[in-house]
Amino acid sequence: MSQYKELNISPVGRVEGDLDVKVYMEDGRVTRAHTQASMFRGFEEIMVGKDPQSGLIVTPRICGICGGSHLYCASSALDTAWKTTLTPNALLLRAIGQATETLQSIPRWFYAIFATDMANKKFANKPLYEEVTKRFSAYVGTSFQSGLTASALPVEIYAIFGGQWPHSSYMVPGGVMCAPTLKDVTRAHGILNHFRNRWLEPKLLGCSIERYMEIQSWDDLMEWVEENESQRNSDLGLFIRAGMEFGLDKFGEGVGKFLAYGTYLHKDKYNTPTIEARNNAVISPSGFFDGNNFHNFNHMDIEEHVDHAWYENVKPAHPWDQPIPTPVESKNLEDTDFSGKYSWSKAPRYDGYAAETGPLARVIMSGNPNNLDHQFKDPLFLDIINQKGPSVFTRVLGRLHEAPRIYTQINKWLGQIDLDQEFYIKPEERDGRGFGATEAARGALAHWIDIEDGVIKNYQVMAPTTWNIGPNDSKGNPGPIESALEGTEIEDPHDPVEVGMVARSFDSCMVCTVHAHDGKSGEELSRFKL
Amino acid sequence: MANLLWLQGGACSGNTMSFLNAEEPTVVELVTDFGVNILWHPSIGLEIGDQVSDLMESIKKGETELDILVYEGSIIQGPNGTGGMNFFAERPMMDWIKELSEVAGFVVAIGDCATWGGIPAVPPNPTESTGMQFLKKDKGGFLGKDYVSKGGLPVINIPGCPAHPDWVTQILVAISTGRIGDVLLDEYHRPKTFFTDFVQTGCPNAVSFAQKVDGHFGKRGGCLFYEVGCRGPMTRASCNRILWNRQSSKTRANHPCLGCTEPGFPHNDLVKGSVFKTMKYLGFLPKDVPSGHSKVGYYARAGFEKVMGTAEELVSGKRPQFESSK
Repeated sequence: MSQYKELNISPVGRVEGDLDVKVYMEDGRVTRAHTQASMFRGFEEIMVGKDPQSGLIVTPRICGICGGSHLYCASSALDTAWKTTLTPNALLLRAIGQATETLQSIPRWFYAIFATDMANKKFANKPLYEEVTKRFSAYVGTSFQSGLTASALPVEIYAIFGGQWPHSSYMVPGGVMCAPTLKDVTRAHGILNHFRNRWLEPKLLGCSIERYMEIQSWDDLMEWVEENESQRNSDLGLFIRAGMEFGLDKFGEGVGKFLAYGTYLHKDKYNTPTIEARNNAVISPSGFFDGNNFHNFNHMDIEEHVDHAWYENVKPAHPWDQPIPTPVESKNLEDTDFSGKYSWSKAPRYDGYAAETGPLARVIMSGNPNNLDHQFKDPLFLDIINQKGPSVFTRVLGRLHEAPRIYTQINKWLGQIDLDQEFYIKPEERDGRGFGATEAARGALAHWIDIEDGVIKNYQVMAPTTWNIGPNDSKGNPGPIESALEGTEIEDPHDPVEVGMVARSFDSCMVCTVHAHDGKSGEELSRFKL
Repeated sequence: MANLLWLQGGACSGNTMSFLNAEEPTVVELVTDFGVNILWHPSIGLEIGDQVSDLMESIKKGETELDILVYEGSIIQGPNGTGGMNFFAERPMMDWIKELSEVAGFVVAIGDCATWGGIPAVPPNPTESTGMQFLKKDKGGFLGKDYVSKGGLPVINIPGCPAHPDWVTQILVAISTGRIGDVLLDEYHRPKTFFTDFVQTGCPNAVSFAQKVDGHFGKRGGCLFYEVGCRGPMTRASCNRILWNRQSSKTRANHPCLGCTEPGFPHNDLVKGSVFKTMKYLGFLPKDVPSGHSKVGYYARAGFEKVMGTAEELVSGKRPQFESSK
């Protein structure tokens, strides 16, 4: 008889449907894991034959969490296809939109989705458990409410320039729709200031942004934690101390290869948008890190595999060369044969490799010694990866580390808006191919468009979640979350909270259900929602 | 006190994200002070103790009272009416919804996908998506035109892509505090309190609309109806009275209204020339005219005003200017 229980660890932001993870365990370890995305909407197919600007309306609605990021990609893809001209103001206002959406996601994700796990009873015997529970418990935690409330502030700035968040379409080929006034800019500064004074400095850091940004290495970070009570007891200080005490730095390694498309196109370096000029124009750098070396990012090195996805078989191909996918019959988890097709997600590969995308990938790219003067230069996470390796802990740390930097950038960009200059230059519509990319809060996002006879011939969207939760590729190599789960030690096979934390550290934008099975008998041991 | 279950089908979670921005009241206050007991929600559901399917079974058997079923996302019926493109808790989501709507006190559809199909239902509608009780303007949808919940109302539609958080929280509070009788529904089952006036009510460019002064992207002032496809004059919603994110609205940020609270969004099914362009009749007259006007009447009056504007310009040498200052 199968023993079967479900643990309601905590909820997760869900966007594109449901994610089921099936893990097999033997002798206290995960031996095999499969991820299954269980919903299909066919947004790419809907756009075929439609107005070339359809992506501006349709794609933000692929994901209510990352709508601004989709808009950034959709407008960029049209910019490269239509060969538009972008003014500095247009690039600044797009970067501000992208950055405020990401800044919103940091506290919302950390408190509502990740940190509640740390209040799980598994950690009850740890000295810091009581403090963690007091602070991070869902709803009642002292930091939970203030963090959730603060998360609504950055998107107020998005609304000033875009009208509303989520689901604005204010970024258009040739620029932005808005033409802000001094009142708008000043109000945005004011809201950002509230964010810093209410949450970022007093709650998250326990020190000034300037002090925090002096940290250059793992040793510096350890020193920062112990420097004073305020830093030690800040939410970040507590996360670092408890994270290591709870052993979150000991599991969830993943594929060890990282991919970032980069984002925040510089106001003076992308005025004539081309795909080739993009790498040198982004402020948050792009790149592929293979575990040892950095490589320049080239979107032509991406292929998607569908051998294990519920689409008609086609050869692995670059998005421009892929047909709109044709769905085949899907199964519920119980009836799925994992040697065949088992997910609505395709399996993207970079130069043949599965790659992790997300905040950790971005902060690693910031450590590339070849970064240009206008790009982020920050050696901290290269040092952390070398010293500690990737893990649940480093992934979460990377996410939190971005908050002060993004705050600083938005403030700077607001100050650079020139109210006497143009915000939009009307482009000429034409046929052709385009590519637009960005870094959504949870990782690398890109759109590929092909326009023929004035309508969309092909539109391909590749989300960060596709990179991270994708199934096996045609060679049978696992995706990043599948890989990160393998080898994870499970203390209590009937309460494998470790599995949940791994899946959640990637912030897949789906509700994730983990099903744990005995590796030998195949019987279901437990099942829980994330 | 009201038990609430929130489920998502063909959804992007945009309505949930919007809901989390609510301030009067906040989502937390909704739970702690306004008696809304969230049995489960895909993003913020807590303390349910049992697995979701157990909860749903218990609701079906009547062991757990379900006062409000909130549904976000389209009802996915594909492929071939099986619902297999959207499994939830091992079954097609549409099967769960059919059963739960039979026992729910009130059913609230949130967002365009749940109300009338939204973007997933745009042709060729690859997932066979429909709304809860409408498919675009046609009554029926998934539950059928005669459906009424145990509380005696049809599906309460709160459209928008996404719905404004206050529209959602206020209706939930009305149900939980026993004031649902004060909520009147229009022909599309929308609460009249939010969906009687037009988006144009409160739009700062309303004067430019009256004077036929065009607005454009990247410009301050002018009306977006004439060239870039603004649907503010024919879309019922309170966007310019209850602001978004407490700050603004699309038209205040020089963004044409997309008409997302009216059935049929995205309008004209995204055909070539319909996105951020005003579709024209005879090359210069707007194809869609402001609600409450006949086409002939509107064209006659608008033409007169346009001619008078030109005449005024000839006489005075000046065109009315509505560009506002930086």
